[in-house]
Amino acid sequence: MFEKVLIANRGEIALRIHRACKEMGIATVAVHSTIDADAMHVRLADESVCIGEAPPSQSYLNAAAIFSAATITNADAIHPGYGLLSENADFAQMVEEHGFIFIGPTADHIRMMGDKITAKDKMIELGVPVVPGSKGAVTEDKVARELAEEIGYPVLIKASGGGGGRGMKVANNPDEISHALSTARSEAKANFDNDEVYIEKYLGAPRHVEIQVMADSHGNVIHLGDRDCSLQRRHQKLLEEAPSPALNTEARAEIGGRVTKAIKKLGYLGAGTFEFLYENGEFFFIEMNTRLQVEHPVTEMITGIDIVREQIRIAAGLPMAYTQDDIAFTGHSIECRINAESPTTFAPSPGRIGDYHPPGGLGVRVDSGLYAGYQVPSHYDSLISKLIVHGKTRNEALMRLRRALHEYVIEGIETTIPLHQRLCENPDFVNGDYDIHWLEKFVGLK
Amino acid sequence: MTRKHPVDEELIKRLSELLDENGLTELEYGEGKWHVRVSRASGGSAVHVAAPTSSATDATSAGNAEETSAANIASHPGAVTSPMVGTAYSAPEPGAPAFIKVGDTVSEGQTLMLVEAMKTMNPIRAPRAGLVAQILVGNAAPVEYGEVLLILE
Repeated sequence: MFEKVLIANRGEIALRIHRACKEMGIATVAVHSTIDADAMHVRLADESVCIGEAPPSQSYLNAAAIFSAATITNADAIHPGYGLLSENADFAQMVEEHGFIFIGPTADHIRMMGDKITAKDKMIELGVPVVPGSKGAVTEDKVARELAEEIGYPVLIKASGGGGGRGMKVANNPDEISHALSTARSEAKANFDNDEVYIEKYLGAPRHVEIQVMADSHGNVIHLGDRDCSLQRRHQKLLEEAPSPALNTEARAEIGGRVTKAIKKLGYLGAGTFEFLYENGEFFFIEMNTRLQVEHPVTEMITGIDIVREQIRIAAGLPMAYTQDDIAFTGHSIECRINAESPTTFAPSPGRIGDYHPPGGLGVRVDSGLYAGYQVPSHYDSLISKLIVHGKTRNEALMRLRRALHEYVIEGIETTIPLHQRLCENPDFVNGDYDIHWLEKFVGLK
Repeated sequence: MTRKHPVDEELIKRLSELLDENGLTELEYGEGKWHVRVSRASGGSAVHVAAPTSSATDATSAGNAEETSAANIASHPGAVTSPMVGTAYSAPEPGAPAFIKVGDTVSEGQTLMLVEAMKTMNPIRAPRAGLVAQILVGNAAPVEYGEVLLILE
């Protein structure tokens, strides 16, 4: 087992990784930017190393500084968290080349799933259902037009080097296709330095349902069930729940079986998530995330499994502690992503936290690095806390969530807590009756 | 760079009491590489904890855990900080004489020490001419971005 792990991330996930390490008796190294010197995980870590100024390119994306920090602290392994360098295949490769263990999948698999076209082709090969679409990149209008006819409008033009919902344009009919194609390509070039695009069927009212998988280096693979992440604004998830209100046991077992077969064939290592659009009882693969996800806690609450702990164990070469038969899903869990933003305009609200009082009680979990007096910096994404509840039933979880949100005090800045409170009162949400477009309509209406 | 150790509050309390009871101005207690020094400044006693230094034997090194002076050092106008994470070396190669010592006068651009990162040696040059007042890191000490290496006056 590792003696020391370097946490190449910040904020709540860095604290999450630190906690898993400490519970395993592993020493932690927190690398941080100048402005994060007082972050909670930096204060708690066994060692900390300042690696650069606030801008991510100078600090958290500064691979050389991270390697230097790992060298001078004699770290054994590096956990990349989510975002930042976690899905940078070159970084994963360099970590190994420098003699450290990368807590995650191989660079090859990160690369494969990072390119949305090769990922989709691979899924077809592995027997995972995909969204009907072009076989590879599309460059000409004529081809796009023919394909769109074949697939059926509306269609979606997507950047193959994109992901996370960025670089996508809808064409509702043949008149829109040329314009959609050219804007998608120029946006893709601007955002991802790669103008390669492909076409897919645009689903009208799907849900976003994803499956958590884990695989070790001994050939064992399991799935840890599904999460429903349909509540999104500008493709950013706001609230997630497990299990999905839309799936039944059979559907879950079926898709779970398909994805575990796929990662076994792939020889995948570590944690991963298959993201699907789910409509009319059918699953359509959109992308695979080769890292830990923000919303992993809801899966942990219903399975009782510490996913970060398993990631570390797998990376250390140990066999997983669970087989599929050991996995049971108990109750229901909901997570609210609390951002330092206006709950109505979503304008960022960095600043100094005044009074801070997180909720507690049975079935309530808060993953956050916040504390009274902490300065939320403006240089990073706005997620400052995750409030997660668990209940024996979805109704119990909802009541608990409502109660916990009302207890939560974060003074000094604006947060999205009021938005979550409004969500909890909404009949559609309470009934679990929403799709990926629902939240944008809800916040548009105010 | 901070390497934290659990603080033995009982020990420090007891040392402070001994200081007062016996009318002493300074009391130091140590075990192996660990020393705790309690001293009476005007208006009360101050506690200094010296963390173990790295394997180097440079007598001018001072542990970064000296919290009472750390804030003063970082904002000193003559502080020369490390531009990167790495390992500081006080001489051009093992066995060679150190680039500088306390009390030396240096000219602008003169190499003061090296910081090694990713197997490359990076010279730390004097930003202007001055007198070396303090050297804060020992030979082969790990340094973080922004860490104060020395004070030039």
